[in-house]
Amino acid sequence: MHEYEIKLLNGLKEKKGQSIGQLEKSIGLSQDSILWAAENLSKSGAVVVERGAVRSVSVTKEGEGYLKQFPEEGVVRLLEKSGGREKIAGIKDKIGVIWAKKNGWISIDNGLASLTQSGREAAKEGQYELREAFNWIYSDQPKMNEKAASMKGVVDILAKRNLIEVDEKNVILAISITKEGLAMLSGAKAEKGVDALTRDIIKSGIWERQGFKPYNINAPGETVYPARMHPFREFSNFLRQKWLEMGFIEVSGPIVETAFWNFDALFSPQDHPTREMQDTFFLSNPESLTIEDLETLQKVRKMHIKGWKEQWNEEIASEAVLRTHTTSVSARYMRKLATTLNANYPLKLFSIGSVFRNENLDYKHLAELHQLDGIIVGDNLTLANLIDTLRKFFSKLGMDNIKIHPQYFPFTEPSLEGLYYDEEHGDYIELFGGGIIRKEITKAMGTDKTVLAWGIGVDRFLLNRNILGVDSLPAIFKNNVGWLRSRENLKV
Amino acid sequence: MPVVAFDVKDFEERGYPAKRLQELLPSLGMEAEIAESGEIKIETMPNRPDLLDFIGIIRALDHFTGKRSPRENFYKIEKEPVLVIDVDPSVKKIRPYIAGIVAENVDFSGNLLKYAINFTNKFTETYGRKRRKLALGIHNLDRIKGNITYAAAEEGKMTPLDESGEVSFSDVLKKNEKGIEYGGMYSSQKKPKLPFIKDGEKVLAVIPIVQCEQTRAKEDTKNIFIDITGTSEVAVENAANLIAAALIYSGATIYPVTVNYRKSAVQTPEFKEKQMKMSLRRAEFTLGVALGRHNVVGLANKMGYTAAKYGNSIVFFVPPYRLDVISERDLIEDVAIAFGYDNITPLPVTGVADGLAQDTAEQENRLATSMVGLGYTEAINSILTNEITNFENVQHKYKEGEYVQIADAKTEQTTMVRTDIVPCLMQNLSISTNEKMPQRLFEIGRVFSLDGSTIRESSKLAFVAEHSRANFSEIRSSVEAMLKLSRIDDYKIEATNDASYIEGRCAKVVSNGSTLGIFGEIHPKVLSRFGLEEPVVAAELVIIKEIRYEV
Repeated sequence: MHEYEIKLLNGLKEKKGQSIGQLEKSIGLSQDSILWAAENLSKSGAVVVERGAVRSVSVTKEGEGYLKQFPEEGVVRLLEKSGGREKIAGIKDKIGVIWAKKNGWISIDNGLASLTQSGREAAKEGQYELREAFNWIYSDQPKMNEKAASMKGVVDILAKRNLIEVDEKNVILAISITKEGLAMLSGAKAEKGVDALTRDIIKSGIWERQGFKPYNINAPGETVYPARMHPFREFSNFLRQKWLEMGFIEVSGPIVETAFWNFDALFSPQDHPTREMQDTFFLSNPESLTIEDLETLQKVRKMHIKGWKEQWNEEIASEAVLRTHTTSVSARYMRKLATTLNANYPLKLFSIGSVFRNENLDYKHLAELHQLDGIIVGDNLTLANLIDTLRKFFSKLGMDNIKIHPQYFPFTEPSLEGLYYDEEHGDYIELFGGGIIRKEITKAMGTDKTVLAWGIGVDRFLLNRNILGVDSLPAIFKNNVGWLRSRENLKV
Repeated sequence: MPVVAFDVKDFEERGYPAKRLQELLPSLGMEAEIAESGEIKIETMPNRPDLLDFIGIIRALDHFTGKRSPRENFYKIEKEPVLVIDVDPSVKKIRPYIAGIVAENVDFSGNLLKYAINFTNKFTETYGRKRRKLALGIHNLDRIKGNITYAAAEEGKMTPLDESGEVSFSDVLKKNEKGIEYGGMYSSQKKPKLPFIKDGEKVLAVIPIVQCEQTRAKEDTKNIFIDITGTSEVAVENAANLIAAALIYSGATIYPVTVNYRKSAVQTPEFKEKQMKMSLRRAEFTLGVALGRHNVVGLANKMGYTAAKYGNSIVFFVPPYRLDVISERDLIEDVAIAFGYDNITPLPVTGVADGLAQDTAEQENRLATSMVGLGYTEAINSILTNEITNFENVQHKYKEGEYVQIADAKTEQTTMVRTDIVPCLMQNLSISTNEKMPQRLFEIGRVFSLDGSTIRESSKLAFVAEHSRANFSEIRSSVEAMLKLSRIDDYKIEATNDASYIEGRCAKVVSNGSTLGIFGEIHPKVLSRFGLEEPVVAAELVIIKEIRYEV
């Protein structure tokens, strides 16, 4: 038996049903050690652990304003002063009116609130059960637990009104020793020999005479957690590695971007619905950014006027956004390569990074997502080359049966979409989109090369392929310490 | 991508059972989802408004499967106009263009009327940019008396759809459901002039808001008039052609409408013959497919074109509903679709290339490895945050103009871009209070600050440790270990003040005159704001002060 287990059993022998707090004081072990020992001992039936729910209650920030007077009390006092009647419209505190009505303190007729008999009493007495309970919770917070359980009705009302917060935890209430435990304790005492090995014992050689006390090697060890990297870094490195193996150069670009590089350079019309507030994060500070490359600016303007037959506005292009895709990085590199002398074509580039969607956040949706974009720039590149590149990449990930379908994107033509058959869902799931960058765009970027391009939604891929054993993205980026430490290893 | 819903039975009746649809539609770039109720939802490509319509999808399927081949001169309009629209100059500045279509022998039976209305709504929502750029209305032709006038006025009277009595224009804006939904585009004026059309006796529609009850089209309606109005002449013309072509495909006869502008008169719709050439060689070089061995004219037919071989090119006759076809590339893409993307043999990209990882990514990986070695687990938080988490909870003051703000976020959680990482990590600790101590977290990430209108993006490393014995010397040791690993030897640690930390237990790292970071024991006021009950020590160090991209 472990030293802690013996200590705990000894401590329990004295008194039945002790709480962890009491034991901490009486046997001098930390809470963690007691819990660990109790867990082990309960498995062998030496102790009985009694568990139960404990409610703890605390006053919210809003609640602090209610300590002196509840709004409904204010309302009856106001009515008292004004002779028992008042137009509803004249009473500012609507919450107070609602609760005063609920309490039967006022009646409302024809837009007029009048004090009732019980309302008059309430105004005079100044005793209000709810406020008194509330004050008591406020002042007595630490010792609240048991009494709060007996006041469930009041607590529920206060919680509903967002004046207090109720937290319910499943905790250990008491630990007691069993007959088996007592028997084990007397047996344990009989064991002789060296317990913990120390420097002195090693030097003195005392162990040669006494021998070693055997330990219970079946006793479970304390759970320990190795420190680890975030799963997204691991996954991102895994994907990076595959593109690097295929001879791709890693690049990156700005996260806060001009609408110009995020939309206009990619031929997205200025009145296109995706440019509206509901999908894109526009900035209010700074509202706009400078488009430095004036030559490309003029070429993009021409492309839009010719292609969309609409006015093109430089101000709209200067708006600052959080990039909605990493294709903006691809656009910037098309331009950069066009001005680079002696580039060794075909050039293969990829980038991975954060992208943003102005969405309602819930258990399924996050505003910050991740995308992987790639381009190949060169001569005589074909759709068959693009299909080969993407098939190779996904076969490196063990996905050999990808379906490729036509699709539409404003910046590529022909465009395609890759899907795989997900056996769990019995459905095809989208993996990537891509195509050959439109001639209009490559021309505006100043290059006569062909550009193959694609984008992969990394987060969806991570979820859909069940790489982490988690089906919700927010769970991965919530960073709960327990989850980060104990999560599964990547299945790749 | 736009989604349109139909009853799968209507496809079955026309020879396309559910199973076949699920095979055919994706090959054409559409996705289908069939519910148990028999409803099929089809996601179409945004550049193909012709596929928002039931007839349009049937037509694409008929051609693709060879059930009905495209024919020359199939899309024809009768010669004699049967209706006149007079355009009043009052619309010139508001919504100048109008086109009309008269169709006889239309089939609106079963679900077809519902589909036509759904198409109208989807089409004007997407292609029509929420009816601003383009709107249309379908009327029962037999209920229209005399010629039509298109004008604009501040006031007038009409009987809106689904209502029984006449109401004023201003009530249409204020009280009608559609008025509330679409009237917003006129809200900048106090007393706006509303465009409308009327016949000899009544107002047919207030545009682009609602049409009148009297001319409502029903399932047994055979003859219809369609008005199409908008701010773009091309869009109005295109829409008239697209709709007329769909009606012709479904068996209706189309008559032209004369539109009298002040100085000119036009007839709508008007199909202009559109011929385009595709070079076989360029198609082969784009797709990487030896098309010469295939029947390219046949592939063109599958996509709805009539076509003919002409030397080394193919001449395509573009049908009037294909608004998206403007260049040779469009034809090449359609040939590829007819050929089948899955039938294209992959070809490797030739030429040798060396892969190269980015320095900053590798540097971050090395730092992360070291932090794990020190017992810290990595967190990755979003750079989107709010003022309460980023500033107030850590007792930092803030001023507009010094940080990047979001214009119109959907939630209060994302109103700004973070300036520091420690607040994110504190947030992570605050949701982990039930987990075992000690807790150690680190993050390597981007933060943003603002100087005038210049944004500075920096890369930082932050870490926090929470446990009963966490103290200044622990965090100092870790900070110094990381500095040494980063080969920064020439640094000083100086006392500093920061409201996040306990006074006298907070220090900064200074090297070559610039501050590299700050660390110390977190102030109990900050701890209680995050609901933390154990001591926390924290550090935030600069990795790259200002990130400059190569592009």
